[in-house]
Amino acid sequence: MIFEIAIGDRLRTVGIVRKGGLLHVDLDGRTHIVDARRVSDSIVSMLVQLDGAAGPSRSVDAAFASQQVAGDFDVHLEGKTIPVQIRPAGSFGRQKKAGPGAAASGPQRVTSPMPGKVVRVLVKPGDHVKARQGLVVVEAMKMENELRAARDGRVRDVAVAEGQSVDAGASLLVVE
Amino acid sequence: MKKILIANRGEIAVRVIRACRDMGIATAAVYSECDRAALHVRFADEAWPVGPSAPRESYLRIDAIVDAARKAGADGVHPGYGFLAENEDFAAACRDAGLTFIGPTPEAIALMGSKTAARQAAIKAGVPVVPGTDEPLSDRATDDEVRKVAERIGYPLMLKAVAGGGGKGMRMVAAPADLPGALRAARSEAQSAFGDGAVYLERRIMSPRHIEVQLLGDHHGTVVPFVERECSIQRRHQKVVEESPSLAVSPELRRRMTDAAASVAKAVGYTNAGTIEFLLDEDGSFYFLEMNTRLQVEHPITEMVTGVDLVRWQIRIARGERLDLNPQELLHPKAHAIECRIYAEDPDNGFMPSPGRIQGLRVPQGPGVRDDSGAYEGGEVPIFYDPMISKLITWGDTREHAMQRMRRALAEYQVRGIRTTIPFFQWILEDSDFIAGRFDTGFIDRKLGGNAAGGGRKEHSPLQPIDASHEDLAAIAAAVHIFTKPVANGVAAPAVSRWRDAGRTEAMR
Repeated sequence: MIFEIAIGDRLRTVGIVRKGGLLHVDLDGRTHIVDARRVSDSIVSMLVQLDGAAGPSRSVDAAFASQQVAGDFDVHLEGKTIPVQIRPAGSFGRQKKAGPGAAASGPQRVTSPMPGKVVRVLVKPGDHVKARQGLVVVEAMKMENELRAARDGRVRDVAVAEGQSVDAGASLLVVE
Repeated sequence: MKKILIANRGEIAVRVIRACRDMGIATAAVYSECDRAALHVRFADEAWPVGPSAPRESYLRIDAIVDAARKAGADGVHPGYGFLAENEDFAAACRDAGLTFIGPTPEAIALMGSKTAARQAAIKAGVPVVPGTDEPLSDRATDDEVRKVAERIGYPLMLKAVAGGGGKGMRMVAAPADLPGALRAARSEAQSAFGDGAVYLERRIMSPRHIEVQLLGDHHGTVVPFVERECSIQRRHQKVVEESPSLAVSPELRRRMTDAAASVAKAVGYTNAGTIEFLLDEDGSFYFLEMNTRLQVEHPITEMVTGVDLVRWQIRIARGERLDLNPQELLHPKAHAIECRIYAEDPDNGFMPSPGRIQGLRVPQGPGVRDDSGAYEGGEVPIFYDPMISKLITWGDTREHAMQRMRRALAEYQVRGIRTTIPFFQWILEDSDFIAGRFDTGFIDRKLGGNAAGGGRKEHSPLQPIDASHEDLAAIAAAVHIFTKPVANGVAAPAVSRWRDAGRTEAMR
């Protein structure tokens, strides 16, 4: 089976086949041999022979947490948390030639990441904003959180006013 | 005392329940609507609803909580920290209802709760305070009046809310021109946060450390101070890492600071647990900052270096027992302890709150590790309250030993499904200035200023560098996970077709 996996701004193709009791994982032209035991629905114990080395196996305990989008999840291993997007082969390639990092074209719809209250709207329709400039301040969990522009652009469709309560995912404004 | 009602939630409610259980005392929890399945409710012997999820309608409702205590037949109330812990009306309402409030008297809370009155108390006890105004500046004081006072104190200075706390209503003023704007901002913030717009001025100490002294006082006139806590590692004026003892405090300075703290407490007839906060200047002089009239979040590090259970003593003091701790031993730490406050915030995304369901939880264990937590696997972190979900404490023979254990414990700690500040602490524990103990209260602002302070979606911020070998392992693990995913009810997991749909949708956009 072949997957595309995006980690950070790198997109790579991974092939995986079962051979006997082991899994052979092809990554960037190198084959890693994995003895995998599922510990629970979301935890896998792996003994990995990196690059097919005959040497000692690296013991990697991997645990997973699914995100809102199917195929997006956090991989927890060796004390690190690594966000991963995995899709069947070809899913990314058609759309994202340079990988997900290049997805910063097209309008940016700014949404509230959590339920909360809009305490300040820092821009108005027609304003030109720079990347990382503050747009809207939403208060949740006793903290004020400034939502910023992902890139340079012009503000349109400001859908909220100060004092308004918003749900998670609510559209606040658009930067194009 | 036969039954104690805990007027709080989360990790501190669980902490207090444990102390009660150690002493054979029954426990009653209170809960808001969204906390019905919270850990403190599941842990307590009984639990009483006190209202809707918003704090003002539940955990801050004095009448509802006193009523719950009455219905539960409790004879004592422990307020924890935050919420009503430093509200003199609540302490008085408990007393009026015949309940033992496990904390100081309402009079002591009121006195030390006013920053200017607390300064006066410190001055009377002969303890140095940061040079500043002795009287609060009311809402009606004009800009000119404030400017005159400011000139006497000197710039740069700090504007602070008289009723303040948690960094609210606080502004740094570098020059006279900034004064009117800062004054307006501080007053309006103080008015909305505390219902009191009065402010006062203090000279700004340039690179201070925040050092504090834990105290216990009984009802027989005994006050004992404990070895200091170092709380200089702060973000947005909130402590995030604490340790005890402080590298900056010699035994001689410790003696002077703990003596000063005890004399302030004695001067106001303080009882139960409290903490005196000081600013320690680079030249070794220290100044009284404020007194916290409650148990502190960071109390466990004091417990780990002295072996004293502070919550147990709070209860013993409240029921009239005499403090019989050896004061000398409390000033000689038996270990070095560090605490990291684990928040449901995403450090890679401007510390955005990250509420939600905890899909998986692996809590660190082993020698020298303590986890005071309100979280559990499958539990929800609600949006209504402070996002701290647990406190991780490690200790060892030396600071180095405690840091090694903290690194180990942080690597073991997995909170899956929400993002937490664990990677942020891993980064701090690798910082050469932190390791060397070279820091003051501006440490985090300076360190974050250059890289990760901004928001914006970044999968990999400088806070959490992922090296190529871990990226490889994550890619391998992801493929193995999907490839070997268990089949539900004999039907192939629908996940693959869902991505295909997702892929198609994306392609057609």
